[in-house]
Amino acid sequence: MACVGLILVLVMMMVSPMVISHTTTPVAVPAAHTGQREVQNDISIVLTQTGEYFFNDQPVATIDDIGRLVAAEIAKDPYVLVVIRADKQCYGNQVLDILAAAKRAGAVRIVCATKKLTSGG
Amino acid sequence: MRRRHVERPKNNGLIINSLVDVALSLVIGFMVSMPVFFENGIFVSAPGVAQAGGAVSAGSDIKANIFLANDGRIMLNENSVTEDSLRVLLPRLLDRSVERRVVISNDESVLYDEVIRVMDMAKQVGAYDVAWLRTRKTP
Repeated sequence: MACVGLILVLVMMMVSPMVISHTTTPVAVPAAHTGQREVQNDISIVLTQTGEYFFNDQPVATIDDIGRLVAAEIAKDPYVLVVIRADKQCYGNQVLDILAAAKRAGAVRIVCATKKLTSGG
Repeated sequence: MRRRHVERPKNNGLIINSLVDVALSLVIGFMVSMPVFFENGIFVSAPGVAQAGGAVSAGSDIKANIFLANDGRIMLNENSVTEDSLRVLLPRLLDRSVERRVVISNDESVLYDEVIRVMDMAKQVGAYDVAWLRTRKTP
């Protein structure tokens, strides 16, 4: 019985970061002390360090495509949360381009994903 | 007096006490470490285009405009400040503001991490709303 419990705990520990994370596309998001957590069906836009875009884990070629995809989601739910997961080494303006595209597509709730910074760091 | 012989149960099974301890320790470690795995988010007001000077909109409310320059300088309402002094000055400005809004803009080659660091600081010192604007140099 205890063995089963132990295995369950280990499985939970391995799986939960994947479940909790917005997407499976690995990105080193910046760290911040503050931040609100929202667990819901949201849109995830990823910008990797190499400048690749992903929309809900699907590679996207251009910012315009992101705008179109966000607009399609906004049409279904106008208050959908748009989560921008950008690599911390990206330029601010690259992220701002995504923000602008999301805004143009009609997004009203936009979040920049961060990692919780512990008090020491 | 004859001592009664008490038969102790044979210990031929698995000793689970240590396993339970390990499982419990893992659960506690898991609970403590989970916030590290969570991704949070800073709500950002959608961008617009501001003049390079930093004025966002006409109004009587006190503005806190932060501009991050390429060379690492931080400008608060067009005055160059250090990060430490920003941490002191920003709450004073926000205390006198109704909206408690901080407007952040940056030069082209400023890293996203830097912008988030300033956003985080603004939130920490009490900003309700953080707007990130694209600057356009006046011709």
